[in-house]
Amino acid sequence: MNHKNISGITRPIITVIFFVIALLTSSFALAAVHNISLTAETLPNGQLAYAMAGNEAVIPGPALFVKEGDSINVTLTNNTSTQVGFKVPGLPLPSSAKVGPGKTKSYSVKASKAGTYVYHGNIDGKEQLGLFGALIVDKATGPLDRYVEANGNIVPVTQADLDKQFVLFMVGSTFWGTEISSDGTQKPLWANPNPGAVENDIVRFHILAIGPGHTFHLHAHRWFKTGTNEVIDTKLLADGSDTHSFTVKAGSGVGDGDWQYHCHLIAHMEAGMHGSFKVYPEGGDGASIVGASPYGNILLGDQSRGPGLVTFEVTDEPASWFRSARGDAIVKLSDPGATGSPLQGADIKTKSLEVIYPGSSVNFVMSETNGVHTISSLLWPSGAHHMPFNQTDAYRGGGIVKLDTPGLYVFTCKVHPFMFAAVIVDDPSTEGLDLGNPQSNYTIDLATGIKSLPTSSDLAVRLLKTFFITTATANWRDYSTGLWNVSYPTLPVRISGEPFGKIADGGVGFALPLSALNVKNEPLSVGNAPATRGVGEVWVNTQFEKTASKFKPGTSTVVDTATWTVKRKVALPQINNNNPHNMWTNRDQSIIFQTQWFDNKFSMINRETGELIKNIQVGYSPSHVVTLPTTDDITIAINGENGIYMIPAGTTKVEKMLPTQAQGHVSANPHGHWISADGSKIVTPNIGTHDVGVYAVDNGTIQARTPTGGTAPGAHPIAIGMMPDSSKIYATNLLHHSLSVLNGNTGALIKTVSLIADYNPLDGTFADNDGNGKLAVGVLPIQAPVSPDGKAVVIASMDGQIVIIDTATDTIVTSLDCDPGCHGANFGAKEGGGYYAYVTSKFGNRLAVVDVDPNGDGDLKDAVIAGHVSLVDGAGTAKDDTVTGLPGFGGQGVLAVPNVYNGWVQNLPAVWKEGLTPEQQNPKTHH
Amino acid sequence: MSFQINRPCCATEFLENSSATQWMPHNAVRQLLIMFLLVLAMSCLLIGKSFAAEHIIQLTAEETQDDGFGNKLMAYKMDSHMVDGVSITDRYSKVATIPGPTIVLTEGDTVKITILNEIPGNTTHVPGISKQVSIHVHGVHYDILSDGTLKVINNHLDEGAGAGLEKDQYFSFYEYKWNVAPGTAGTWAYHDHNFETHNGAEHKGLFGAIIVNPIGAPSYAKEYVLYMGDDAFWGMEINGADKKQSKHGANPTLSARSDSNVRFHLIALGTDIHTFKLNGYRWVDPGTNNLINQVAIGPLEKHVFVVKAEQSSFYVDKNFSNQLMGMRGKFNVH
Repeated sequence: MNHKNISGITRPIITVIFFVIALLTSSFALAAVHNISLTAETLPNGQLAYAMAGNEAVIPGPALFVKEGDSINVTLTNNTSTQVGFKVPGLPLPSSAKVGPGKTKSYSVKASKAGTYVYHGNIDGKEQLGLFGALIVDKATGPLDRYVEANGNIVPVTQADLDKQFVLFMVGSTFWGTEISSDGTQKPLWANPNPGAVENDIVRFHILAIGPGHTFHLHAHRWFKTGTNEVIDTKLLADGSDTHSFTVKAGSGVGDGDWQYHCHLIAHMEAGMHGSFKVYPEGGDGASIVGASPYGNILLGDQSRGPGLVTFEVTDEPASWFRSARGDAIVKLSDPGATGSPLQGADIKTKSLEVIYPGSSVNFVMSETNGVHTISSLLWPSGAHHMPFNQTDAYRGGGIVKLDTPGLYVFTCKVHPFMFAAVIVDDPSTEGLDLGNPQSNYTIDLATGIKSLPTSSDLAVRLLKTFFITTATANWRDYSTGLWNVSYPTLPVRISGEPFGKIADGGVGFALPLSALNVKNEPLSVGNAPATRGVGEVWVNTQFEKTASKFKPGTSTVVDTATWTVKRKVALPQINNNNPHNMWTNRDQSIIFQTQWFDNKFSMINRETGELIKNIQVGYSPSHVVTLPTTDDITIAINGENGIYMIPAGTTKVEKMLPTQAQGHVSANPHGHWISADGSKIVTPNIGTHDVGVYAVDNGTIQARTPTGGTAPGAHPIAIGMMPDSSKIYATNLLHHSLSVLNGNTGALIKTVSLIADYNPLDGTFADNDGNGKLAVGVLPIQAPVSPDGKAVVIASMDGQIVIIDTATDTIVTSLDCDPGCHGANFGAKEGGGYYAYVTSKFGNRLAVVDVDPNGDGDLKDAVIAGHVSLVDGAGTAKDDTVTGLPGFGGQGVLAVPNVYNGWVQNLPAVWKEGLTPEQQNPKTHH
Repeated sequence: MSFQINRPCCATEFLENSSATQWMPHNAVRQLLIMFLLVLAMSCLLIGKSFAAEHIIQLTAEETQDDGFGNKLMAYKMDSHMVDGVSITDRYSKVATIPGPTIVLTEGDTVKITILNEIPGNTTHVPGISKQVSIHVHGVHYDILSDGTLKVINNHLDEGAGAGLEKDQYFSFYEYKWNVAPGTAGTWAYHDHNFETHNGAEHKGLFGAIIVNPIGAPSYAKEYVLYMGDDAFWGMEINGADKKQSKHGANPTLSARSDSNVRFHLIALGTDIHTFKLNGYRWVDPGTNNLINQVAIGPLEKHVFVVKAEQSSFYVDKNFSNQLMGMRGKFNVH
């Protein structure tokens, strides 16, 4: 062992909590009564924690040691601003009532059965923020445990034999530790610590978990599975809450060393869930190394407390998908009216921005989401350590990473790529917050392979704007208010030299406020509805709209194309409909199929009445749904997993899952798939593997896996469109700002169309670089359907553009303005012939109606926005719940009924065909 | 670039805690022990096995299983396995397999196992990316230089073959020493811990198992080693008579003679948590007297049980998506 390494490390100053339970060292077996006073506190980083009254609050909460048969009376005083409870799964607890802020309540627990128990705050997942601790109930008499010696002997362990104990809580993808010395003194070890012991110490570990499950593995040690004679070195801790206590002789048979402990789920290993059990040679001090602490070196934190930790809660809540645990507090502290606040006037509207200092860590916990996610780097300071941070597969849990290099780090979820968290690691010695690496002229690197991008560049500023609009609902474009305001924080930032976007006086050595980018009172008007009517109705997934009788967001908004008004809102409060994302319909257009993208649910809705028919379990984060034109069977892309779910027509049960990759290979995580008009092929954009997959419907054979990013990483193909005769496949590459054109039969790549050829990412100027006679761009392209007559591809681009592609040449014809977060697009029939493309936006609340060929001459140069329709409900809107917030926002999936795509339109019932022209009824023939 | 044996520190001693009788038995003591055990084994009508065998093993990691579109997995291949100087290499597949070779050991044995790396590009150091492969084993005793991890974890060495994370640290091969000490009986996974990151490529094919039998353990007509991945079982069969390993691959069809005793070794890998079921069978939950008919198992847990093969059946993962994806295989009894 290397002693120098260990003695050279500065140990953070920590408050030692003295906590003695009367019976801890007693040899008597009398049932005792323990009176314990706990408080619930809010920590400096916004996490919640229990404190033994009078002491500092700690995560995990104080470990409680009692004997079987004892009674425990807990008096809990709530010093947080939220309701808090006290629950011990597995032990009887008469009261499940919660205690309000500022109030005190008593709970009694009978330690009726020996074992290790979780106690927690019982607040619907939010307890994962830190309101958890261990209750260890030992047998009243006899040995506590036993361990396996190096020679195989089994040795019983009494309390007196124990040199130390560790509590390690597995929460999200982070370990939270406490050390308990032989005299009962407890010391917090915080996040991902390195517990220490001397070789041959008898050490008892209490491993506990709350939330999604884990497996605990400690290298080179082995122990008994509780209640059995089975020797193990890895133990499952099941979903919900679970515990496992065991004893080892440190280094027995293996010697000293830094023995890694970790969760053995690959997704959690990639998410940073590990530490080391430091076994010192005989004569060493056996000291533990404390991990990052919520009290440590973060904005407004205590530098003297060593490495700090900020925590983002991962939620299903619009804009706050990654919400700093103190996000609400920071917004309040930065208000212009927050007199005396250290952040007064900083005007921070986002809850997804954090500031820490080098060497501190950022932690994520998926405590308020029903979906699966990744925690993935989008950009980071050039050359930063531990970057890019990423998980191969989406999963439940969290992530933790230490950030050493100053600069801006943006994290996203690969499955839901508008979820953003930004962390500025600031060098405290410079003026202003560092947005890039000071060692390399404040530049950043991107997940798409772009290196050393100046933070003064237009692209960097555009990304920053995207972040501040996406993560603050106050910055969204609400047409019902008539005015648009965007406010960026007044925080001074340091960027690369020369122009800061369009701002003149930036540059190294200067710090300028982001608020220079503000938009003030820009007039907003929904605009006119299209002059020509559409056919039927348009269903829009207003995925962020909030209603009164459920706590998850999202509705479907049904627009009547005869009147261009909102005729219905479908919220489905009875199933807590969660982030409805995309839809399709059956042959007779009677049922709307609906995915819930932040959940594992799929619902079927009566189209005419808006009533729920069935809500069924599917895989995690189902994204798009399309029927097979041949059979009406339902196919659902399981974005958070590795395949396509299949539901036979007319049934409500998943029959099978079609894998999107060969066995054992990296999950494809398909998003917005399409199906060939003859029903023979499923085509998926695979966000996990950056390729387009082509799969045979009849036997599931993988026919092609075509990479779309060329030699650059991170293309992120997200949606598919296909020609009506299936001759070509179009795939948008979200992060490469490009469109891949593939052969519809072979899946071979034909062409890649850059959608930002006319854009100079450094200075933000536009020039006709692709020579098509137009300045046209599409930044962050998403949905890209092909018109049913095969003439045009319409691409909704998140930066606020609609790009029109001519399929005859596969070149850009023009681009039209769209609202922020432009996302969904789909075609429906225009009355009297032709088609409308209906385009939705997440951060605006109107529907754009695009006419790609108003005069029907086949030339797309006159493509135009025919009109707009407000998605806010009105007096005549039927609904199953009351809209309470974000009205009409979150436009994503969009579906026109009747479905007029080739292959599907032919199957329409006569009543639906009546409204269509002969050309519309059979678009392929007339192409 | 250097080609070296990288364990200068440990050439003379292995583990100070290992008892002399087990580790380096005196010849006379050893012979007495063998005779004693032989008598013991015969009296129990069991097949005797020499005590404290020394295993010299060499594995290579290779690329394999191209999906037809250029995406590859990795696999271990058994190059050689000598037991007290006698080769048993012909028990193993001649090519790299997923799962990797199952190494059968007995409590008291010692193992020297070497890893070679034939993954393309492994000789060149790439900043921030490890090109190494390693063998990290569960269950048995080894010192910190046989942990099979990177220096960022063990604070000593990048303990694998190929160019590691550390600059100028390239090993063309790496040798690990395992002490299959008393108290380590059971079935344990071994897997890579070093490829690309310190998490390794255990989920990309670089995994196998050791079966540590107690001295005098009964033998079985068939042994099945089944690994539960995130979309398939990877498995193999060991014939109890000639010890040959076969049927490597995904969701293999297992076969047994009617009324024979067969042993299942389950190990989970990857990210998913599984529920294993062998339809229509019940077995003893290891370390207890309880009969169970399914078991929850998480990554790198193991679960070993014996059944008498009575009727054809199938094994399946009840995990919601995995079951729908057809994560199951046949168990044919005839």
